[in-house]
Amino acid sequence: MIRNYFKIAFRNLWRHRVFSFINILGLSVGMSACLLIYLYVSFELSYDRYHAKGDRIFRVVTNIKTPTDTLDWNSASIPMSPAMKKDFPEVEQFVRIEPNSLLVSRGETKFQEDKLAFADSSLFSVFTLPLVKGDPDKALAAPWQVVLTETSAKKYFGTAEPVGQTLYLTGSRLPATVTGVMKDFPDNSHFKYDILVSMTTWTQKINPGLDDQWEGFNGFAYVLLHDAKDAPGLKAKLPAFIDRHIGKDLQKAQMTFTLDLEPMKDIYLRSKRGAPESGSLPNITIFSLIAVFILLIASINFINLATARSAERAKEVGIRKVVGADRKQLTGQFLGESVLLCMISFLMAVGLCALLLPLFNQLSGKTISHGIFDHASTIGILLLIAITIGLFAGIYPALVLSGFRPIAVLKGSFSSGKKGILLRKGLVVSQFVISIALITGTLVVYSQLTFMRNQDLGFSKQQQLVINFDGDSTIWQHYEAFKQQLTSLPNALSATASSAIPGQGNPTAYSQLENHLGVMQPTNMELFSIDYDFIKQYGIQIVAGRPFSTGFPSDSTRAILVNEEAVSTLGYHSPQEIIGKKFSQWGRQGTIIGVVKNFHFRGLQNAIKPMDFRIRPRDFSFVTVKISGRDVQKTIAAAGDLWRRTLPNRPFAYYFADEEFNKLYRSEDQFGQLFLNFAILAIFISCLGLLGLASYSTLQRTKEIGIRKVLGSSVGGIVNLLSKDFLKLVWIAFLIASPLAYIGMHKWLQDFAYRIDMDWWIFAMAGMIAMLIALFTVSFHAVRSALANPTKSLRTE
Amino acid sequence: MIKISDLQKVYRTEEVETIALNKLTFDVKEGEFVAVMGPSGCGKSTLLNILGLLDDPDGGSFLFNGTEVAHFNERKRADLRKRNIGFVFQSFNLIDELTVFENVELPLIYLGVKGPERKQRVETVLDKMQIMHRRNHYPQQLSGGQQQRVAVARAVVNNPKLILADEPTGNLDSSNGNEVMQLLTDLNEQGTTIIMVTHSEHDSRYSHRIIRMLDGQTVTENILV
Repeated sequence: MIRNYFKIAFRNLWRHRVFSFINILGLSVGMSACLLIYLYVSFELSYDRYHAKGDRIFRVVTNIKTPTDTLDWNSASIPMSPAMKKDFPEVEQFVRIEPNSLLVSRGETKFQEDKLAFADSSLFSVFTLPLVKGDPDKALAAPWQVVLTETSAKKYFGTAEPVGQTLYLTGSRLPATVTGVMKDFPDNSHFKYDILVSMTTWTQKINPGLDDQWEGFNGFAYVLLHDAKDAPGLKAKLPAFIDRHIGKDLQKAQMTFTLDLEPMKDIYLRSKRGAPESGSLPNITIFSLIAVFILLIASINFINLATARSAERAKEVGIRKVVGADRKQLTGQFLGESVLLCMISFLMAVGLCALLLPLFNQLSGKTISHGIFDHASTIGILLLIAITIGLFAGIYPALVLSGFRPIAVLKGSFSSGKKGILLRKGLVVSQFVISIALITGTLVVYSQLTFMRNQDLGFSKQQQLVINFDGDSTIWQHYEAFKQQLTSLPNALSATASSAIPGQGNPTAYSQLENHLGVMQPTNMELFSIDYDFIKQYGIQIVAGRPFSTGFPSDSTRAILVNEEAVSTLGYHSPQEIIGKKFSQWGRQGTIIGVVKNFHFRGLQNAIKPMDFRIRPRDFSFVTVKISGRDVQKTIAAAGDLWRRTLPNRPFAYYFADEEFNKLYRSEDQFGQLFLNFAILAIFISCLGLLGLASYSTLQRTKEIGIRKVLGSSVGGIVNLLSKDFLKLVWIAFLIASPLAYIGMHKWLQDFAYRIDMDWWIFAMAGMIAMLIALFTVSFHAVRSALANPTKSLRTE
Repeated sequence: MIKISDLQKVYRTEEVETIALNKLTFDVKEGEFVAVMGPSGCGKSTLLNILGLLDDPDGGSFLFNGTEVAHFNERKRADLRKRNIGFVFQSFNLIDELTVFENVELPLIYLGVKGPERKQRVETVLDKMQIMHRRNHYPQQLSGGQQQRVAVARAVVNNPKLILADEPTGNLDSSNGNEVMQLLTDLNEQGTTIIMVTHSEHDSRYSHRIIRMLDGQTVTENILV
């Protein structure tokens, strides 16, 4: 019996190739989209789950409250976690990780290591990060010890034995011994480094005294508890802990520190404080929904086409009933057919996925999977899902078909499932609701991206060639001379040095500024150290006072410029009022000499915060050369030559300020691209279904079309007749989709401090796009049947 | 074999109520060949539906081999049907996606007959109908007469006690028509009861008895033999 079902199923699929093709194509594309999203989502959810002790690991984070604001930081200062271990028996162990960027060399092999970190040796026992060579207890215990990942070991030593060899940190000055080689960090780790240097190197050798600095926040601290259940109790003891250690200092500075413990497994997706790598729970939710929607659309196609075609199958049903089939057997047969179809689609989907995976990895910006066949259990689950879809999508058609009255069908007095029409229309509407909502979403995402790229940032980022010298003392000690040489390069207009470039992070300096009441108010200021030419070269406007000038010797030590945001934070009504007021910041005292117009020194996701500029060559890390834009390559080559002559030890690292700034939007870009692709898929599958349905309904109305043509209807009239019904459905879908899309995208936009308004035209455009695509799809058949010779269609009746 | 009394069937739509069978009463003995005649809309098809256990009556009694089947549920009806009743239609009603052999095999599959026995029984009946050489063809590749022979083969392959024929010659030319009527007569002579709905006076003369219907009732019964 089963064999007979399969035989019929296969022959049916073959006989109705077009319908089968539409179904299989739609389902397999839908399933592969789902499969990819599934891999993506499960990868995102798998972050940091590989640590055997993961449940007991917590990140120590700090909230810093000043009279003006609260900073929710993801870091803890160096002494905090060791003190916690000492004070609390609940704490089994701590690990501190201090990210840094150093020039590392071995003879002539030199690399600027941006992914370097100082770390405690407990890293290997707290986290599940196995060493391939070396002793985990001792590898990072003493100063000047280095552990390499397998990849970086190969980079420096090739096939030679790395353990026991010497590497030089910061160029050639600081020798360190390789004491171990570890496996590369897993892809799904919220922190990844290429080189680890012992923490004692940092706290005792490079920055002696750091062990007692409770107020410096740069790195991360993790604690391993004996029992995860102790966490709430421990948290409750932390305020007293802070008070005991630095209560007095904080009181004097009018600050409070509040420590918190974040569970390891929540850091990547749920922490609002961020991490070296962090994911987005809303995005995962959005993509999961999209996956379900796409599958839904494909399944709807299946149901629609199957019921629409029921009239064709009716005869077979009648015959089978007459020769003895009962309803159960028929239901089984049709379910079998739909499962078969789903299985074929599933196989194609797996193949398609295998092909698309590298592309998807690229699109999502990470290696979510090295090959889908690595995930046998995943594929097993998906196979089950495919069968379930087959059963679900098949159950309605199966029930409809098996319920036919055989004699009516066999005698030809059967009218093709009038009752199914409303359901089919409902399903088409829901498909288009999803499609239109996705199109709207895509338009909103891209409008926001365009807005962010084109928004006036308040500084000039064009033609700014940025050279990163990583604070090398050779440069900042002689930077005036170096600047001179840079400005004399071909096509170079000017040059300036600074601690950071707009778009990158700055240190937050805890400062005291005189407010409108004449009181020294503690304020967190983002701090840029710059030279005299920075303001001018970056086109930052002065709204009050004056920029730094070499004519005022005190400018280099006793003056700052603040932004408008700082002015209003301090309670002044106009920028003029703050000129001449006092400040005290990181060991410097003096007066505010000018106010700059607010500019975006961070991406448009973030609101502009109070900041200030000061002159301090020691902090310089970047030189920016403004170039004319003519023959850029020549300028770069000349700068490279100059670099190699000045700093032969250091690789020449450069980029353009505008490109770098746009990188701040990379994750939004990726989100947009993924969104766009899936929206296209959704509308494609919807249209496949529409195409099938339209061709079917056109087929059914062949006689009507014939009669209308005989009576004098024009081709246009017929196309209109056939398209009208479908367009009405799209219109209804538009009315439902628009508010849904508005709500969803409104929520998405909340993540951006500076965002677009969702104008009516975005919705109108989404509706128009859907309408046009639907019209095009439907009229494909409508035109063909409208042009057909009417006598032909009438004779066949 | 069949005894129906006061059989009633009413079709209702929103506005119209059509009485298809109005207290119909007659019986058919085992081994009989009965023709049912009457104008379009007189209830012939409804009667055939009910006799074939494809539909249930709204009232009255239907004894099949002494069992009251009027209120059997769908499962029981399907079971009784596949063991006892064969159908032959005007428009042949073969499944286009199946070959001649597979079409004839179908009732045996639903009866649960095992493969080798199925093969043997199908071949026997195809041989008898003289379409063995066409066993691997699809219905569209056959002439009307051949298709109807396949349909008859399918109707008799499970050795039913009753064959219901609905205008079996309606789509055939006269020589093919006569051939099919001859097949039915042969089957009847071998003991199968046949009830045939027809418009054709010519075909009706093959039967033993003609029941004439009008407006859901029998008007006359002519005994021919």
